[in-house]
Formats: sequence, C-alpha cells, structure tokens
Amino acid sequence: MSDNDGDTRPPTNRMIIAVLALFGLLIAAYMTLYKFGLIGTLACGAGSCEQVQSSRWAVFWGIPVSLIGLVGYAVIMGVALLGLQPRRFNNRRLSNALFVLATAGFVYSLYLSYLEQFVINAWCRYCIASAVIATLIWIFSLAELPRLRRAP
Amino acid sequence: MAQKNRARQGSNLKSFYWVLGVLALAGVGAIAWLVMRTQTQRAAVEPVAVEAARDPQALVAMARGVAIGRDDAPVKMLVFSDFMCPFCGTFAAQMEPLITSEFVEPGTLQYVYYDFPLGGSHRHSFLASRAARCAEEQGKFWEYHNLLLGKQSDWSPGTKPPVGKLLGYGTELGLDRAAFEACVESDKYQDIVSANRMLGEQLGVNATPTAFINAKRISAEVAMDIKALRQLINAELAAAGLPTTTTTE
Repeated sequence: MSDNDGDTRPPTNRMIIAVLALFGLLIAAYMTLYKFGLIGTLACGAGSCEQVQSSRWAVFWGIPVSLIGLVGYAVIMGVALLGLQPRRFNNRRLSNALFVLATAGFVYSLYLSYLEQFVINAWCRYCIASAVIATLIWIFSLAELPRLRRAP
Repeated sequence: MAQKNRARQGSNLKSFYWVLGVLALAGVGAIAWLVMRTQTQRAAVEPVAVEAARDPQALVAMARGVAIGRDDAPVKMLVFSDFMCPFCGTFAAQMEPLITSEFVEPGTLQYVYYDFPLGGSHRHSFLASRAARCAEEQGKFWEYHNLLLGKQSDWSPGTKPPVGKLLGYGTELGLDRAAFEACVESDKYQDIVSANRMLGEQLGVNATPTAFINAKRISAEVAMDIKALRQLINAELAAAGLPTTTTTE
C-alpha cells in the first residue's frame, strides 16, 4: 500500500494534536524558564507552583520535569507536522508513533498528577494545564488510529 | 474534481499553518515579555517606604520577633518568613550567614525574624512556627530554624500535621523532650505567631521572604542579592552619619 492511498483530506486529528502540542510546548518552556530562575519571582505567595516546582519531584533522573515536557511536546508536534505533509496524510506508521508518544506522555502526566495530589499535596495550575493537554493529545491520537485501519 | 479537492486541501493546510504560526509567535512573545519583566523587576533596588516599620512593636502589641545582634544597632533588618517556603530556605542558607558575619557581628545591624505562615498549601507552617518558638524557650531557636528549613522536603509533604517529625528535630538538637513535647502539643505561642503574621500584613507583606531595612520594604529579589543589601545598609549608615562597612571582595 502506498502512502497516497485513501483519503486526500488533511487529517484533522493531526492538526489538533499539533496545535495542542504547541500549547504544551509553550507551557513547558515557561515552566523550564521558571525552574532556571529566568521568570517569575524568588518569593512564595499564596499559589502552589513554587512548592511543586521546588520539590524534589520537579527533577526526574537529574533532568527538570519541565524540560522533559518541552522535549516531549516538541517531538509530538514534529511528528504531527510530518504527518500533515500531503504525501504522508495516510501514513499509518506516523499515527502509530503519535499514539505511542501520546500514551507515554499521558501516563507520565498521570504519575505527576498523582505526586501533586498525594505526595506534594499542592497543585500548580500550569501542571494541571499540561496534564489536560497531554490527555487531549492522547484522546486525539487514539481517534486517529481507526481512520487508517479501515483501509483494506 | 480531484484538482478542486487538492486546491481546497491546500488552502485548508495553509490556514492551519497560519494559525499555528500566529499561535507560536504569540506564545513566544508572551514568554519573552515575562522574562523581560522579571529581569527589570529584579534590577529595581528601589525600596518601598513603610513608616510604621520604624516601630513595629507598637503596631501589633503581641508581635514579637526573634533577634540577633545588638539592640542599639543603627540598622534594623526585619525578615518575614514561612518555614515551608522554599525561597525562605534558600534565603536562610545563603544570606543569613553573610548578613550575620558582615553586619550583625560588627554591631551594625540587628536581624529580627518574624513568622509569616502563608497558609493555603503551606498548611504546616503555623505549627512549625510554634514549634520553633518552643525551641526558643530552650535557647535553640536558630538551630531549630535552620533544621526546619534544611529539611523542608522531609516534614512539609502530607496533609497530617507532622508533629512527630517536629518533635524528632527537637531531640536531634538535644532539647528537653518532655518540655518541648508539652509545648508543641499545646496552643502555646499561637498568639505570638498570629500577631507576627498580622504585623506583616499591616506592613504590606504578601509573600515570603519579605525584608525591611529600617523603614524600607525590600523584595525577595533584593534580599537575595548581597550587593544590593550592602548598598541599602550602607545608605542607612551614611544617613545616620556613621561609617559605612567596607568589604573585601
């Protein structure tokens, strides 16, 4: 089967995933700059972000969690954009790759949300936004799978 | 027909790339603006004058700080701090030793600690402040304060009050266990800690750490910068007609 078989319309799911990943990328970039002290304040206020971001769970294997998010969203966005080139509209491998990446991101987000709820006991609104985006990306990557399965 | 489809698909994609590009530009712009704003805020060393801070004891009668340094020191530095705030931990670890050796020990400055338990997600700060007062009873406030801030990640998490851990730190410092336990498990010092927080509120404190040098409020960014602090303290000394401190760097 060639990549050009089937639908010639641009796959909407991939467009949505690319836009969502862009939002995730921007949030992760903001949080990374915050972590490196280039943004925000050096004081504690009523919010909980500084508590989450300065906890020892904000670093995973020596790498700031936000930086992992930054790279993850960039890769997902890259794959989604690759899949939006007309000759790759119906490339099934890209849909599978998106699904695998999105699942990894979703599971990782679940783990971070678990830490916030049960271990750190503080919620950071940017972390919540990122978790919502990761969940939406996963849903759209799941929705993208049957489109190409239908093709004989 | 196919050509028409292809044309439409092309224009769909084109508008998609436009939307994506505009969003990306807007996002990058917003982040750049936030970075710039942070940088300019940090550069501002302009203190805020708060007249009432000249005589804080009269403001909220119950409030009582913990001081180090001479009572007649020409410069007074008040610091409002929260034991669960990570930045207070950084401030205490990095700045307090510098301030003590450079200004407190020569008798230029009196350093006064005030509690400002933020509440909210900092749910154990109030208890920690009270426990530190109980340690003060036995002459170990600063040792206990350093231990609490150094071990934040050990006792801060969790929803249950970490009474056992707070008592354990007392034992670690050789405090009289029975007296310390009786104090921590009572409501002793809740009035002083509350009054300290109220005093802070009246002085316009809304984040920790917030410091005052004589009657001027300074932000955490300035408090974390020894050069800016030196400049402010020397300005106070000069205003009082006293010799400024000279530093060897």
